[in-house]
Amino acid sequence: MKTVIKERIAEVKTKRDAGWKILILLSTLILIFILSFALGRYPVPPGQLLEVLASRVFPIEAHWNATVETVIFQVRLPRIFAAILVGAALSTAGAAYQGMFKNPLVSPDILGASAGAGFGAALAIYFSFSMLGIQMMAFVGGLLAVGLTYGISLRIRHDPMLALVLSGIMIGSLFSAAISCIKYIADPYDKLPAITFWLMGSLASITTRDVYMALTPILFGCILLYLLRWRLNVLAMGEEEARVLGINTGVMKTIVIVCCTLMTAASVSISGMIGWVGLVIPHLARMIVGPNYRVLLPASILLGGGYLLLVDDLARLLASMEIPLGILTALIGVPFFLYLLLNSKWGWK
Amino acid sequence: MEMEFRNLSCGYGQRRVVDGISLKLKVGEVVGLLGANGCGKTTLIKTILGLLPVQGGEVLLDGKNIRNWTSAQIARVIGYIPQMHTPPFPFEVLDVVLMGRTAHIKPFSSPSPQDVKIAEQALDMLNISYLRDRVYTEISGGERQLVLIARALAQEPRILIMDEPTASLDFGNQIKVLSHVKQLAGMNIAVLMSCHFPEHAFIYSNRAVLLNEGKILHSGTPGETITAERLKTLYGVDVDIVSVKNRMNQELRVCIPSRNFALQPMQSMDRRKEYAFA
Repeated sequence: MKTVIKERIAEVKTKRDAGWKILILLSTLILIFILSFALGRYPVPPGQLLEVLASRVFPIEAHWNATVETVIFQVRLPRIFAAILVGAALSTAGAAYQGMFKNPLVSPDILGASAGAGFGAALAIYFSFSMLGIQMMAFVGGLLAVGLTYGISLRIRHDPMLALVLSGIMIGSLFSAAISCIKYIADPYDKLPAITFWLMGSLASITTRDVYMALTPILFGCILLYLLRWRLNVLAMGEEEARVLGINTGVMKTIVIVCCTLMTAASVSISGMIGWVGLVIPHLARMIVGPNYRVLLPASILLGGGYLLLVDDLARLLASMEIPLGILTALIGVPFFLYLLLNSKWGWK
Repeated sequence: MEMEFRNLSCGYGQRRVVDGISLKLKVGEVVGLLGANGCGKTTLIKTILGLLPVQGGEVLLDGKNIRNWTSAQIARVIGYIPQMHTPPFPFEVLDVVLMGRTAHIKPFSSPSPQDVKIAEQALDMLNISYLRDRVYTEISGGERQLVLIARALAQEPRILIMDEPTASLDFGNQIKVLSHVKQLAGMNIAVLMSCHFPEHAFIYSNRAVLLNEGKILHSGTPGETITAERLKTLYGVDVDIVSVKNRMNQELRVCIPSRNFALQPMQSMDRRKEYAFA
């Protein structure tokens, strides 16, 4: 009887469902998207919101307060897009890494991208760089850290995946220590709080320019990974098997690392450190649509974007003061992850 | 298609495990590779598959050295069936079989309907079409091994390498999986299978190769190659090889340990007596 039920469950998990599930995820994201415009310290009623949005396309006479327009287009729109972009990027990178490392507990910062970006940003804040300078330094710092990790791993003559993870952990710790060092010598009244707040992660001061800056590397990474979706499936069977099945695993690994690092570094550079999204969301996506990257990647993008947007709304609304996003993602992400582990069928064994 | 090792040496880094062996494999035959743990079976297999660099000599396919071939080029000719394993992600069986098509698919493409058809045929050939939509991590070990054979078939290889394909399978599943091996040879494929039981080489192979400390001890038809004396050299145990007839009136050879099992408990009792007197 038990096996019959098991077979039934397996049959239900067919490809036709996957299309449906993606559609539901997409509608949910759109719903949160519209909701996020209306929510905030300066409430915009849905009717007015639609009118203001439509006025950009159709010639509608502006009979509303100019502040409404400023709030919608200058404040909320970039922030909403940034939240979706960062959430989608971190989740996609996490999903790709989890397959490549054959380990569902891997997150996008496994190779030190976040620590490196944090170091770059801390250094830039210490030297009083402009906002743009901080973002550039964070991006370069992230690339540098992963570059170091990768370079070192090539010189370790053991299991190449293990070598990557080990050198990633070490480089990550090294850059974390360097961040602490900068914090220690930074001016405690001015620079230290700035560094600390940056590291907590926030989308409060996002501008349209930031969104454009992060857009290119994130789109590049997402598109390239999606093109390689089938090979990612094969890579998830383990490196040796992927090679025997005809994949040049050296090249493939490098491409995945480059994509994930570009996406993670670009995200961290505009949002600061936001943890747990890249670990929890791919996991949840796998539970919903299964491990095939053909559907797992789109599902991760939609779920990750929607999730971070929702959490960012909470960050804006929960208290009279903004709550740093990084704190909220951990406060929500960890119990949620534990709930998934305790209550549902695992997406992996 | 013919595969040849000429004076092939392989190993890990400085350590040489297989030392200058020569062997030929022809389409349609099953070669059983026998040897003790650590004799170099797996190292040899990994080198043939291109997972380890060739340390000396050459691997030839139809006379061409494959040293500089890409993994995709090798995968279009050589299929591999690993020991039973459980991957961490619950892929569907059809997807696992489709992975065998990877070497035939362009880098940015996914399997085409044609590939799906080939994968389904492979499942059909092994009589496991009913597993098509099941989750690979949830089926039994024997079924998983058959799926891996289907995956290798979907690869459309000319040479098939099996590394102890029945290790960690139960008695029934061993027979079920191995019964397909001869069927594979009938499909114009050369099969090289490392076995951990001499019986498997007797029943399922046309030729046996005995590997001892990185060198070929003997190779030839299983009947003349696998002798009690050579098994003693290989495994360091005394065995008797006997011929028996099964219910289908087929004569089969089996190996049984030559040891007086009845004596053992007596010895231990004797010893207890000695202790008592001491």
